[in-house]
Amino acid sequence: MDFYIGLMQVIGVHTLLGLSAWCVLHTGQVSLAQGGFFAIGAYGAGMLTAMAGWPLGGALAAAALLSGLVAVTVGFPALRVKGLMLVVATTAFAEIVRLVFFNLKWQVQTPQGPVGPDGGLGFGGIRYFPAHAWSGLEVLALIWSLVAAVMLTLWWLDRSRVGTLWRAVGEDEVAAQSAGINLTIAKVSAFGIGGVIAGLAGGLFSHNTTHIEHGNFTILLATFAIAYPILGGLKSLAGTLVAVVFIQGLLIEGLRFLGDWRSLLFGALILAVMLVRPGGVLAAPLQWPTNRRKPASGTAVPQERTGHA
Amino acid sequence: MLELQNVARHFGGIKAVDGIDLTVHQGEILGLIGPNGSGKSTTVNLIAGLYKPTSGRVRFLQEDVTELQPHERAERGMARTFQNIRLFSQLSVWQNLWAARVVRESGWAGLRARWFASAAQGREQAEQMLEFCGLQGKRDLLAGNLAFGEQRRLELARAAISGAPLLLLDEPAAGMNAEEIDDLDQRIRTLRSQGRTILLIEHHMELVMGVSDRVVVLNFGRKIAEGLPHEVQQDPQVQAAYLGADEDDELAQTALRA
Amino acid sequence: MSWIDFLDLMQSLLDGVMFGATYALIGIGFTLIFGVMHKINLSYAAASVGAAYLSLLIVQVAPAPAVYLLAALSGGVLGALVYYLCFRFLPLSQPLATLMSTVGMLLVLEEAIVHATAGMPQNYPAAFAGVVFDIGPFMLRGDLLFVFALGCAAMLGLKLMLERTRLGLATRAVAQQPVAAQLCGMSVDGTNASTFVIAGLLGGTAGAMTGAAIGVLSPLLTLPLTVKGLVVTVIGGLGSIPGAILAGLIVGGVENLFQFLRGVSERDIYVMLMLFAFLVFRPGGLFAAPGGRD
Repeated sequence: MDFYIGLMQVIGVHTLLGLSAWCVLHTGQVSLAQGGFFAIGAYGAGMLTAMAGWPLGGALAAAALLSGLVAVTVGFPALRVKGLMLVVATTAFAEIVRLVFFNLKWQVQTPQGPVGPDGGLGFGGIRYFPAHAWSGLEVLALIWSLVAAVMLTLWWLDRSRVGTLWRAVGEDEVAAQSAGINLTIAKVSAFGIGGVIAGLAGGLFSHNTTHIEHGNFTILLATFAIAYPILGGLKSLAGTLVAVVFIQGLLIEGLRFLGDWRSLLFGALILAVMLVRPGGVLAAPLQWPTNRRKPASGTAVPQERTGHA
Repeated sequence: MLELQNVARHFGGIKAVDGIDLTVHQGEILGLIGPNGSGKSTTVNLIAGLYKPTSGRVRFLQEDVTELQPHERAERGMARTFQNIRLFSQLSVWQNLWAARVVRESGWAGLRARWFASAAQGREQAEQMLEFCGLQGKRDLLAGNLAFGEQRRLELARAAISGAPLLLLDEPAAGMNAEEIDDLDQRIRTLRSQGRTILLIEHHMELVMGVSDRVVVLNFGRKIAEGLPHEVQQDPQVQAAYLGADEDDELAQTALRA
Repeated sequence: MSWIDFLDLMQSLLDGVMFGATYALIGIGFTLIFGVMHKINLSYAAASVGAAYLSLLIVQVAPAPAVYLLAALSGGVLGALVYYLCFRFLPLSQPLATLMSTVGMLLVLEEAIVHATAGMPQNYPAAFAGVVFDIGPFMLRGDLLFVFALGCAAMLGLKLMLERTRLGLATRAVAQQPVAAQLCGMSVDGTNASTFVIAGLLGGTAGAMTGAAIGVLSPLLTLPLTVKGLVVTVIGGLGSIPGAILAGLIVGGVENLFQFLRGVSERDIYVMLMLFAFLVFRPGGLFAAPGGRD
């Protein structure tokens, strides 16, 4: 039972991570920075509760806001570039964050001994939950109520003009700006909101695991973050959730049956899903890969005519 | 309404636009024509703000807009269509219109209207424009699934819905059949009767000569003629530009005289 | 800073630049694929390391040059594999799909390496390991020099291929105008596949060179190599081969320089900051590829 509670907790945290990527992907930007904001939230919230004695709510909020702020600051220059360059820029940012935390040594004395990030050794002793006697179920409830709140907020945003403008920017930036949409505001707002959500996820993560270290926040985590919405289908929020359940369920539960092979099979699974359902699992109807599809780099003339840029 | 003062745009060694003076008067339909490569599309992009001029100024409604971004120019009242249709193909028809509806209110109301207005509101506002472009009943279809002619109409509607006083139409007739072109002619006239000003870039001679009040001709990035349609048609320089030195090209001759 | 320190600084810069030839090759591979397909192949560095691992199959029986050759060839094969699994059948309208498929491939390759070697680093044959040339106050390490020379040879081979052969012409044509290229009778699919193979050959060489310079191969190499390769591609300018070469040397030099100044754990921060500086001041990269007007 505890195992499943733990699994559900992880699924909840990763759903938030996936949702943060969903925001950014909606405006057509591929960001591998979500892992970096996750890390900022994780270390930030952990430091606030373990080292400064803050209550959990305040720490989570502060850490999430900090991540959002960093996202907006990084977003302004980074979002001037597109495509591959943005991928690399966000990757570089995430790596800088990871390396900063790798090198960060800052401890305070507490009755339990020194507490704080210790460079490569990580940051242990984030013991808010045990110290306040939270049960596994209570933690679970907290995580999932936050997931629900975020999903509701994003759903509302998507239904309002924000969602339409985000998608318009994601579709065709030239047309969008010619139609009067301020690209910078659209892109930075999505990036910032994504940062806040990722920071929140990070704060929950560090408290849940009580010990974090730089190796938790690699580029691989960032690829997971974008994998969830992409595999789940960008049109729907639920798709992201389904993808997380499926993937994390497979990875963690699969440990039992597949042992060490689970990561390899996960990679193969991603490949397979992209071949069969390139729009994501909850998107278009089934498409088999066949020769009738045009070779991937040519644009046939009819497509040009309908102008999908 | 719109003024280009000695505007030039160079790409490396190529002078796509080589010092053009252009004036568009309020309420007129100005046709911009020229052989391929003469700089028409570059000029439109300069006006709309997608390119910054290498030299020269662009003035719109008495204001120097040369340094402004495309969306800022759209806010001030410019709207455009594209040669290759650039619709938001994964959005529905009404969402395409809604996304383009420039909001002129300021303050909190403006913020709400610009970002947080509900979808229901958007659908209402789009209805009128849907009628104008003959797409009623197609409101919830994905723009990418429309027929070609319908997509062109949606592009035009999207430009018009912002209420912009200046419309830049970049080869709106490309790929259309005769009936669709007649419809387009009608719609352009309707827009003008609403008080809008239109800059029309076109290759289709009948349409341009028929609907424009004045015509400007470009070649090699420079203006070679300007005036009433029939004047321009008689201009020997214009004929030479289209026909080269060869006067035996019947097709082009016929088109020019149409 | 004393004279000796300055010399050490210069030395580390020199060593770094020579190692940078590796990064240059990886950068070229990324840029080649991007230039033709306008997509990123995130699994490229992993395939390059994988190719080097594959070449270990003959290490007991063959001399080092043969091992390197096998690495290059394996890289080509893996390149074709990646093309067919990750790109060929994926529709253009879903650009994110190929991104994810290459991520999946990256995972598969990396995990395959881990499984095949139980995660233990493997020794890789180095060439001219103990050889050192003294030039004035500087030492030129023989192994690094060899790596550098091999890299230059690969780049020269690529240049000749692109400029003198029909395949090279087709690659450039398809990159610029796929539709027109088709109409001229060039097979887009075939050209893409060959581009992947060529990039794979380069990558395999790079993998071998990395192994040769460091002395060991480890699955831990793949992620950093991927990141550095992408950094090089962007700094050099997307789609520009000369840019990737120059950027690779620069990144190699800067990396080693900061390793000397600030230690291994901090050096990458500075490389990343350099990337950001480029993105802010010169987003097109060193040699922005000549693009269309739009």
